[in-house]
Amino acid sequence: MRWRDPLSWITRPADGSPAGGTRRVRRGRVLAATVAVSLLATACGDSGEGGDGTIELTIATFNDFGFQPLYEQYMDEHPNITITEHVAEYQNHHTQLATRLAAGNGAADVVAIEGDFLAQFTAQPQNFYNLFDYGADELEGRWLDWKWQQSMPDADTQIGLGTDVGGLAICYRRDLFEQAGLPADRDEVAALWPDWESYLEVGRQFVAADTGARFLDSGPLLFNAILGQAPQAFYEPDNTLIVESNPAIKQAWDLVMEAVEGGLSANLVQYSTQWTTGLQQGTFATITCPAWMMAFIQSQAEDTAGNWDVAAVPNGGGGNWGGSWLTVPSQSDHPQEAYELAAWLTAPEQALSVFQRLGNMPSTVELYENPELTEFTNPFFHDAPVGRIFTDAAQALEPQYQGPSSAAVRLAVQNGIRRVEDGQQSPEQAWETALGEAVRAAD
Amino acid sequence: MKRSGPQTRAVAGPAAPGPGAAPPPPDPARDPGRTERGPGRGAGATRPRLGFRHRLQRTDASVSPYLYVAPFFLLFLGFMLFPLGYTFYVSLNDWNLIGAEARSFTGLENYRTLLADPNFWNALRNTFSIWLLSTVPQLLLALGLAHLLNARLRGKTLFRMGVLVPNVASLVAVTIIFAQLFGRDFGLINWLLGLAGVGPIDWQAGTASSHIAIAVMVVWRWTGYHALIYLAAMQAIPRELYEAASLDGAGSFQMLRSITIPALRPVIIFSVLISTIYGMQIFAEPLLFDPKPGSVTGGAGRQFQTLTVYLYEQGFREFDFGYAATIGWVMFLLVVAVALVNYALTRRISSTR
Amino acid sequence: MARSRVPRLGRVGPLTYPLLILVLLLSVFPLYWTGVVASQTNRAIGQTPPPMLPGGNLLDNIGRVFEQTNFLKALVNSLVVATAITVSVLVFCSLAGFAFAKLRFRGRQAMMLIVVATMMVPTQLGVIPLYLMIGELGWSGRLPAVIVPTMVTAFGVFWMRQFISQVVPDEMIDAARVDGCHTARICWHVILPAIRPAAAVLGLFTFMQAWNDFFWPLVVLTPDNPTVQVALSTLAAGYFQDYALILAATAVATLPVLVVFAVLGRQIVGGIMEGAVKQ
Repeated sequence: MRWRDPLSWITRPADGSPAGGTRRVRRGRVLAATVAVSLLATACGDSGEGGDGTIELTIATFNDFGFQPLYEQYMDEHPNITITEHVAEYQNHHTQLATRLAAGNGAADVVAIEGDFLAQFTAQPQNFYNLFDYGADELEGRWLDWKWQQSMPDADTQIGLGTDVGGLAICYRRDLFEQAGLPADRDEVAALWPDWESYLEVGRQFVAADTGARFLDSGPLLFNAILGQAPQAFYEPDNTLIVESNPAIKQAWDLVMEAVEGGLSANLVQYSTQWTTGLQQGTFATITCPAWMMAFIQSQAEDTAGNWDVAAVPNGGGGNWGGSWLTVPSQSDHPQEAYELAAWLTAPEQALSVFQRLGNMPSTVELYENPELTEFTNPFFHDAPVGRIFTDAAQALEPQYQGPSSAAVRLAVQNGIRRVEDGQQSPEQAWETALGEAVRAAD
Repeated sequence: MKRSGPQTRAVAGPAAPGPGAAPPPPDPARDPGRTERGPGRGAGATRPRLGFRHRLQRTDASVSPYLYVAPFFLLFLGFMLFPLGYTFYVSLNDWNLIGAEARSFTGLENYRTLLADPNFWNALRNTFSIWLLSTVPQLLLALGLAHLLNARLRGKTLFRMGVLVPNVASLVAVTIIFAQLFGRDFGLINWLLGLAGVGPIDWQAGTASSHIAIAVMVVWRWTGYHALIYLAAMQAIPRELYEAASLDGAGSFQMLRSITIPALRPVIIFSVLISTIYGMQIFAEPLLFDPKPGSVTGGAGRQFQTLTVYLYEQGFREFDFGYAATIGWVMFLLVVAVALVNYALTRRISSTR
Repeated sequence: MARSRVPRLGRVGPLTYPLLILVLLLSVFPLYWTGVVASQTNRAIGQTPPPMLPGGNLLDNIGRVFEQTNFLKALVNSLVVATAITVSVLVFCSLAGFAFAKLRFRGRQAMMLIVVATMMVPTQLGVIPLYLMIGELGWSGRLPAVIVPTMVTAFGVFWMRQFISQVVPDEMIDAARVDGCHTARICWHVILPAIRPAAAVLGLFTFMQAWNDFFWPLVVLTPDNPTVQVALSTLAAGYFQDYALILAATAVATLPVLVVFAVLGRQIVGGIMEGAVKQ
């Protein structure tokens, strides 16, 4: 292969010829275009201000808060406001919030923060607007007491307005239970498992009946359910890490190990394609069901409508997993409008609408007296009285304190469970490794 | 500029490795700009017409090179050289992006921690393992493929373009596709294996299986590219050599050993260097292979977490910039060391054949 | 003459075409399969056996990609970024390559050595300080953060320098100087026309590489202002994995490059091969 003969290029007239001229002009134009494009790219920042006084609010959430129809409604009622939502994956969402707070720009006007991450951000109250300055003190009785308290860095500062509360239940497949010779009625089912050991026992029965399905989707979700009932999780309220010393954690771990070793788990990674397909195809019979899990099931496994049901979780139905708050980072240029949006989104009427559409359980107290909530049944789940079930759960639950690195510590433990499920490590090894990773993550 | 003779010196082909690092030429010591003559030619040798003009030309000749190089060099200095140096400085600090603690100078503490960190060694092992599993098959297959492509084919452009398609497709897209193909329950590959009676393999869960899967991705992506550059080098070998050898009674394989491979030596060196550099920095594949969305640990047991993923985890999840910079710097030293070893080895192997 | 099992050099053996076709199929299959999945509904994907033929939902799914995500913005961003980088690399690296190849000045050898040395340095190494710098400059999450650091590449300079020093004879330049041309004129009229083939190839490769770049945009951009690769990874890490949607987005992401490749593939292949050998 040779280079093309260079002389053929050179022998063209070297001045004033169209080729040379065009080339130069073309280059000039291209350069100008580049500069223009780069300037444009630089200029296209976020102004947040429309041309004629319209205010653009951005709201950053993860998973599905069910707010889309509410945005439409709000924009209709407030024509000068436009709302843009950015949805990210759970971990990435919180990582990004941390980065943008540190960078000093880029955070949305309203940002959702989940319970496991809340302490990380209440530790930096200077990065959020104190909602008391915008009228939040009027809203004090709206939420469960602990929900209100947890987002307060100190007695005079409130950075978050509560959205949902997790609660706990067990969602199960009636048809698979029937196939295995187990009762399908939700009260009978709940009576089968007064505690977690009996839950595992039911699991073993189920597996022995050989329906081709496993009993539960994955170890980590079972772990979250069991731990969600304990008085303490990974941290003391003074932020001491107690992952090693808290007996509840090791107990939850041991129960999960029993389940895994008994072949009860379908070993699916939550939110992976396999897990979603497992929901669709009935690869497992039960799954830990905080209220927001119902939303997943409904949107992912439409064809299974009517085959699901909801039973109370062992140990009397208390416990919690999940729940979030809406905050306003201090980078926002429109704190008043952002606050008003957040307050409206978490108001009882809107919270009820989200519940009825999606299943996310409000943390708004007055709804617990509202028959529209308490008597709500969900046909997808065989008309289960989800309103009653989750209201009871919400009112019964003891709030669990989550510390600054709760999310990372939980991830370390969950990865440990996954390693055992995958057969990569023995339970003892996995526990040791998980503890090491948890301690390092909390550092 | 045309030179005759069987010399086939490989000049760096346009490399499009993802990370953006391209390899050095095969003989950095030899100045490839041999066309430059010594001083004495050019303006200085002609008689000046006007004093002013001469001085202008002289100024132009001495100043303008700097002007030409300036934009490049300023950007290069600012955005490439400076960060490289500054990384070392960052690694000497306990520097957390969002921590409340003040940044403090800790000297080589980060390096000590790193060398004692089992996750680092794990990432290192993973990186090497994947690199080995992908580089060797890649290059061998590329040689074979080049040999096939060297024939007098009909539609040779189609074939050549076809083998390059994997290289131009979006890396992220490809990784996502392959992650699905290698899925445990519904992946195509497990289905095919099932037809052959082999049980479903949990590709992501195991160490060896995940390394193989990722290596398959890399091999799929790069074999065609390497095949093309081998092909180019093969085509530059004059036929007379082969004809002479076959007249002497040499068999195909002997010709391969004594003519083809030595002639391909510079290109093989180049090829090995590219795949080494790419292999050491592999990022998208291990990151996106994890079934758990948003995971940066390379699997629940870090079974396929490579060095770059570890760097990303430490720097942009844990926000421990000092530690991440340490990882980066150690990676750099490793790349240099491995590249040098590769260079020496490949040179040795190719020359003794 | 010895018979051999391996096809003689240049001769097409009986296995040649079948093997090559197999290789071609393997090369293309994952992309084909993307098209298959992208044209199915989500439900169909979990079946066994997995679908092998395209379904009818492609336009549907692609429509959803643009409705439910900001993929259009990602495409535009990638286009802007890749174009800006390509043009700037071509301009600045050609100028510098010319200087390194044909002009003499102090420090030339040293600079060139540094350039060549950095070609081997992993990009990851400088990522932390770069990230800090971008933060200082206020470009965090904006396109300049992705464009400016890669506006020049060591490889670009190396490539142009090699080409220019081999292709443009010194005599041309000396003759031009004798005629009284100053350097800029030499550049415009002598060098620029000559480097067209090399510039074309470098441009193509720089564009493709900028389009496919993942690590740095992931670090410095955010999901609301992404490039195509970042947007894809955000989708894949999404709330739930709607695989039809993700792969439809993947198809949309890969298509532009494939189209460019289909049109200019010959040049790209030629560029790789020409670059590998010099006579």
